[in-house]
Formats: sequence, structure tokens, C-alpha cells
Amino acid sequence: MDHRAAMDHCASVLLAFPPASELADNEQYHKAVRLHIQKVEKLMAENGPAFPAYAENLLGVIHPADHSISYLALLQSLLTRDTPIQGGLLPQITTFLMTFDPRQIRYVGLAFSSLLKTVSGGELFPASVAGDLLATALLRIDPSGSVLTSHHIAAVNLAYETDNVDPVLPLIEKTIVFYPGVKSTESRYPCDMESSPVAYVTPESGLTTKLTSTAVLQYDLLCGMCFMQKRLWRQAFDALERVVTYPTKDVGCSKIMVEAHNKWVLVGLLLNGKTPTLPPITGQSAQKAYSTLGKPYSSIGKAFEKDTAETLKAEFESLGLRFWAEDGNLGLMQLVLSHYQRWQIVNLRDVYTKISLEQIRKRTQSAETGGQLATGDEMKALVQSMIDDGMLNGVIETPADGTPAYLTFIEPTEDLSEADFAAQLLLTARRMKDLGPIVKATNERLAMNRDYLRAVIKDQRREKDGLGRDPVAQFDTSIEDEDLMTGILPGR
Amino acid sequence: MTNHLLNFFTVIDNQGGIIVRDAPKFDLDLYIQNYRGRTRFDRLFLIGRSSVPLCVDALKAATAEAKRGRDTQRYREVVEHLRIAAPNEPEATFDQAWLESTESANRNETHRLTAELKGYKNNLIKESIRMGNEDLGKHLESIGDLNGAAESYSKMRPDVSTPKQIVDVGKHLVRVSLQRREWSMVSAHLSKMGGNQNSEDEKTLQPYIKIVSGIALMGQERFHEAAIAFLAADAEVAASHYNEVASPNDVAIYGGLLALASMDRRDLQTKVLDNSSFRTFLEREPHIRRAVTQFVNGRYSACIATLESHRPDYLLDIYLQKHIPKIYDEIRNKCIVQYLIPFSRVKLDTMQAAFGGPDKFVEDELFTMIKAGTLKASVNTIDKLVTTVSPNSRLKMQADALETARSYEKQAIDRLRRMSIAAADLEFKGQRRTGGMHGLGASVDMFDETTV
Repeated sequence: MDHRAAMDHCASVLLAFPPASELADNEQYHKAVRLHIQKVEKLMAENGPAFPAYAENLLGVIHPADHSISYLALLQSLLTRDTPIQGGLLPQITTFLMTFDPRQIRYVGLAFSSLLKTVSGGELFPASVAGDLLATALLRIDPSGSVLTSHHIAAVNLAYETDNVDPVLPLIEKTIVFYPGVKSTESRYPCDMESSPVAYVTPESGLTTKLTSTAVLQYDLLCGMCFMQKRLWRQAFDALERVVTYPTKDVGCSKIMVEAHNKWVLVGLLLNGKTPTLPPITGQSAQKAYSTLGKPYSSIGKAFEKDTAETLKAEFESLGLRFWAEDGNLGLMQLVLSHYQRWQIVNLRDVYTKISLEQIRKRTQSAETGGQLATGDEMKALVQSMIDDGMLNGVIETPADGTPAYLTFIEPTEDLSEADFAAQLLLTARRMKDLGPIVKATNERLAMNRDYLRAVIKDQRREKDGLGRDPVAQFDTSIEDEDLMTGILPGR
Repeated sequence: MTNHLLNFFTVIDNQGGIIVRDAPKFDLDLYIQNYRGRTRFDRLFLIGRSSVPLCVDALKAATAEAKRGRDTQRYREVVEHLRIAAPNEPEATFDQAWLESTESANRNETHRLTAELKGYKNNLIKESIRMGNEDLGKHLESIGDLNGAAESYSKMRPDVSTPKQIVDVGKHLVRVSLQRREWSMVSAHLSKMGGNQNSEDEKTLQPYIKIVSGIALMGQERFHEAAIAFLAADAEVAASHYNEVASPNDVAIYGGLLALASMDRRDLQTKVLDNSSFRTFLEREPHIRRAVTQFVNGRYSACIATLESHRPDYLLDIYLQKHIPKIYDEIRNKCIVQYLIPFSRVKLDTMQAAFGGPDKFVEDELFTMIKAGTLKASVNTIDKLVTTVSPNSRLKMQADALETARSYEKQAIDRLRRMSIAAADLEFKGQRRTGGMHGLGASVDMFDETTV
């Protein structure tokens, strides 16, 4: 076969995969994909070292969205060949990651993962572009963003390390509820568009690797820190709380959890102006570790709630800049100090409807200096900046008759109309309903869990034996479930 | 004020003592006549240390009182004070001869009683051992060894045989605990005293128990319970049954003030003014009665004025002194809350006139009260208005409902997440430590890698 003919042959194989509309159902699709992959693999093996040379030309012929499997194979062969490709490949990778067909990719997880790894390696693309590509690609595979993958961790790591948080925000804002590593019990074909992402984003499909608890903890901590960089305190707080309440077995508490707890306390102060309380689902041993190892932070929390700034300033200074810097929280601490007075001003709302700026100056202290602000202008600037940030709901009014300027607090919200209120509740109800498939998936996964089955069998046996419910015998079998259900308390 | 007095009160001030500059309305001699026992000295000494006008008189009286007893330590202490406050008084020099003779007599007496007790113990006669302990306890108490006294008194307990003796032991222990300011011990001893009495004894004991437990509760800042205890004291019983602790006048003052601080208007009317037994006490302190009546009638500023005029008196009371600022604050707060109830908005100036003073700004007080949540109101310092806030229950309901929905959603997701973690076997596993190392209770894995 001469060069030209070989290439034509390649093209015809690569383009052979029919459009999805020609395949009647999932079964046919499944078979067609399997066949196609076999053919492509065979083709690559047959052509051996010559294939990358063809691939370079074929890239222009194959459409990345229609023939994603074929396109990925071309990219892969070009990326793995010894002589690195000249800059030319970047636009192709970009187009591919932005437009690929996620249904096809479910079958070539390993190859896709290795492409993503190349991207998250950070050498090919500048970090900002890499972050964007990873976020887009991952959300194309799993639009719900509910399964954590090894690529999530790589992406957020890259984003945080290179200070390019914006591109990955859409990715890390998703609620993660699934983690890889459960034996799949899925009977449907991977190409079934109805099945939950947890069925095809698995270590078996190659779209992720197995994770460790440390990696999961690290992911949430990094998410928290990314949100902190963007000053998205609410999201940061939630992310850190996920680390703080991470389920633990036996006695144990990760260093990451302690680190997250300390940040969580400070972010809580910024967000709500008071020390957050540990959620009841926090593990016992973790609580103990937090109370001993997080002592400086809880005293900061206590001092923040005091009426005067001195204690806070003293707590901060008694440990010294170095302590906070070594803990990696110096920047956060400085923000906490600067927010102390802001929260004092916000809290004045409980007492006053209108108050002169001069009085605010007298009633509040800066935790940075430990005293009142020096001038009325500083005060005015601070209040104005708070209003501009949306932290304070009010206006500064300067009377025309020359009397001193004052602040008017605007009432929080007029009560909602019945319709608005119903709409808001409905929204929550809808979101709860959206959880339905997740609940179903979780249920299915848990139903096949070894421990659960063991408990069920034991239960059945006991009932057969007519022993009834013996609380002592029950104890060791139900303990697994108890772990899962820790913290189920009567709804607040 | 003479130079000496000035020096004296500077020292007291540096020690953190309370100084009362205004003259009280009572007469020192008449006042102290109401008491007997060691409390007389304690009271005189406290007045001497606190009241500027009565300082020298009280200290001199205390010196005389100390010399009547056998407690040389007290004598030394009061003379030391007097030497700074009024060095020219004849009482300001130590009576060395008295000191030496008393101290040696005390030592001998202690010896004698200890030896006697030892003898009784060898003979194993219960009644003698009890009496021996009682004698020793009384002696030790009188020479100021309160620790020793408490120990001897409690050793009486195994050997008591009649209800009367139980009461005696209890009274001894209560008295010592009161002098040592151990309020919870006072309550504990009191609880062992009740019951098993014939009705006559019980009746005479009733005011003692009520009053002492009132004082103990007050010492623990449990004002409402203390007020109830004082109000329940029986006025029929002669004061001699309890005047080693407090006088009937004290009962009226303690009960009245604490009731004002802790009860609402209806309770004040039914439990204080309409209380026939307590009325007898109140007759001795008509201004307390007036203050309560004024409060009930809604004349709050008059009530506060009445109380303020007697503040110096109460500040010189041995048990009240420490609590007066707090009690007065609570009464004021209640007055302000009650004052605002009928109005939806009040001018700040009106309130300043009713509750403020030349150096007292009612706004500061409102600020603290609103912040603490005792008062539901908001202040407008520009238009000088205090507006009482009626809670917008609809708004609150809506906010609550939305919050519940939100937290429900969060919990649901959280639980799904945790189940997933468990199902994927991803819980964090600490290293199980062997060898009973449980100092921290939790082992923190210092080896897991951190990239941050």
C-alpha cells in the first residue's frame, strides 16, 4: 500500500462510526462503539510508527464532535510520539475538549483521562486556559458535576497554585455527592443517556482513578481556599465545613481537617460576625482535636464577640505574626481584624434606626489599632465602603442645615408577598425533587454494599430463628448504619 | 477629709474596696444593737473600711468589740487600720498587755479543750465527745480559727442523738460558712437541718432557715430564689433567733430589693405588698415599701429616686455591698422596660429626664439593654426617639420557613454525601493506637500530606 492509499484507508476506518441518529437504541449504539474502538485499535497497531504521521494530516479531516473517539485516538498518537509536536496541536486539543461528544467518550475513558492529565500537567497550556479546558471538559462528561474525579483535584490544585481560580469556579461550585470507588451495579449500557453519571464515571471506565480520603479532604480544602481568594465567603465556609465534618472511622482526625477547622472559624467570623458552632455530625475525635489544636482560633472567635476590640487585638498580637504566618492564615487574620469594626457597625442596626457618624465612631473600635477611628472622615469612608460592598443596608445622609452627617439603617426586608414566598418555597421543593435521582442512585449503590447485605442477612436469619430484636445482638450489626446516619436529628 | 483619712481611703481604693462618700441615714449605735455575735465586728469593720463619714467611729467601735472578744487577729487588723486612718486616737495603739495575756489564755484553753476531748474519746462516751467537740469548735471560732472550728463542728455530727442537736450542729456550721463566705456550703448545711422537729421548734427555726438560705442564694446571685426565701420568713418569731446573722430590718431590705430586681408588677403586689407576714418586716423600713409601691403604681423615676437616696446605707451592708450595683441595674432595667410598654415611641429627652442624670446618659443604658436583648426597642439618635419594636411575626415566620427549607436541603445533600463516602469506603481512618495512649483522645495523623 502506498502512502496515499494507507491514509485513505485510515480515514475510512476512522470515519466509519455512524451518527447516533442511525443507531436505533442503546444496544446497537453500544455494539457499534465497541466495534469501532476495536477497528481503530487495530488500525493503529497495523500502521505502527507510521500512524502519527498520517494522524497529523487526518486531524483536518475528522470532525472532533462527530467522531470524538477517532479524534482522540489521533491526538493520543501525536502526543505520545517521540518528537514533540510543534505548537500546532494546541488549537486542536482546545477544539476537541470544548466540543467532544460525551456519549462516545464514555467508552474511551483511559485515553481521555491521559489527555486531561497532559492538560492539567500545566506544561502544554498556560494555567488559565488549562483550568478553563478542564472545567469545561469535566462538565461536559458529567453536566451535574456530582461525581468527584481525580481530574477535579488536579484542576483545582492547578488553579490554586497558579492563582487562576476564575476558570474553575463553575466546576467547584457544583455539589459533589458521589465518590468513585464503589463497585458498579449498573446493568445498563454506558451509553444510556438516562443513567446517572455515577454509573460511567468510574475507575473501571477510566474517567477517574480511585481516590483516597486525603485526596477528597484536600479537594474540599482547596475549593475553600479558592473561594476565599475570590472572597466568596459563603461558598468557602460550606466547603471548609465539608472538611470539618468529614466522616472518620476509629479515633482519628486528619491534619487537613484541623487546618480546615481553623480557617473555617475565621471565615465564619467574616461571614456571620460570630463564631460558627460545630455541626452535630462532626466526629467525636475530630471535635476533641479541634478543641485542643484549634485553641488559638477559638479564643480569636470569643474575642471577636466582645464589645471592645482590645481583647481581639491582644489575642492576635500575643501569638505574633509568625504564628499566623506559619499557619498560613496571616492574610485571613488581618481580614478578620479589619472586619471586627465592620461587624460592630452592622450590629448597631439592632439598636439604632438612625445614628450620627460621630456616635458610630465613639461606639466602635478598630481591632487593628485597638481604638476608635481618628477622624470623622475615616468613619464616613468606612461606612460608605460597607454600604458599597453590600454589607450594610443603609444610607449616609448629610442634612442641608449643616448638622452632622448620620447613617440611616434601612429595614431588612419588607415581608414577602404570599406569592413570592410560595415561589421561594417552591424553588427549594424543586431542588429537593432534583435530588430524587441522586437518592435513587445512592440507594442502589448502598443496596449492593457488602456491609449492608451482611446486616440484612443477619436480620433475616434472626427473624427466622425467632429471636426477635435483641438489643445487644443488634448492636454490632447496626453499627455500620449508625456511622452513616450520625447526626440524623429531628429536623431543625 | 483629713490627710490621714485621705491616705487611708487611697489604700482601700488600691485594694479594690468600695468607698461610700455620702453619710448613711442610720445611726451606728442603734444599727449595731440589732446584732449579736461575731457579725457585729464584721459589720463595724466593713463600715469602717467603706464609709468616709463613719470611718473612725466605726473602727473605734470595732476595736472595742474586738477587745470584748478573744480574737487577737481581728484586733490587730482593726488597729492597723485605725493607725492609718486616725493615728491620734487612743485606740490606735496596740494594747500589748491585753494581746499577750489573751493569746496565752487562748493557747492554754485550746490545749485544755483538746486534752479534754482526747479523754472523752478514750472513754467512748458519745455525748461527751459531742460536747467536747462543740466546746472546742466554739473556742476556735471565738479566737478566729474558722477552719479549725468548722472541722470540730463537723466532727460533732456522728455523735448527735436528738433533733435539737442536729439543728445546733447545723447552726454552728452555717455560721462558720457564712463568715467564710462559702455560699454553697451554707446551702448544703441548711438542707441537713430541716425536718424531724416538733412544730414549736420548727416554727422558731423557720425564719432562721429562710433568711440564711436567702443570704446564701443572694451570695450566688440567684436573686429571684433569694427574694422568695426572704419573703417567706415568718415575722412572728423574735429577732433573737436569727440576729447573729441578720436583723429584721435587713430582711425587709434584702427581700424588698431582690423582689424589685426579680419580680414583675403583679408578683410585687401579691407576694410583697399583700404578704401579711412580710408586711411586718416592711414596716421597719418604710422607704423600701414606698419604693415597691411606686414601682407597682408605675412611678418608676420616683422609685429609682427613693432607692438612690438609700444607696449609701445598702452599700454599707455586709451582704449587700457586693451586689448593689447589679441589683440596682436590674431594677433600673425593669423600670425602663415597664416604662416603655404603654408607648410605641418615646422622646429620648423624656426618658433622659425620667431615668438619666447629669452624668448618666440613658442612651448608653438603652444601648446595653437592647444589645443584651432585655429591651425590644430601637433608638433614633437624630430625631431623638425611642421606638418600641413589635416583632413582625409574619416576617419572622417567612424567614424561619425559608431557613428551615434551606437547612433541610443542606442536610439532605450532606447525608447523601456522607453515605457516598461511606459506600466508597473513603472515611478518614485514624491510626489505632495501642498501649493505652489516650492523652489527646484523638490521634492526629501528622503524616498525611498537605499540599497547601
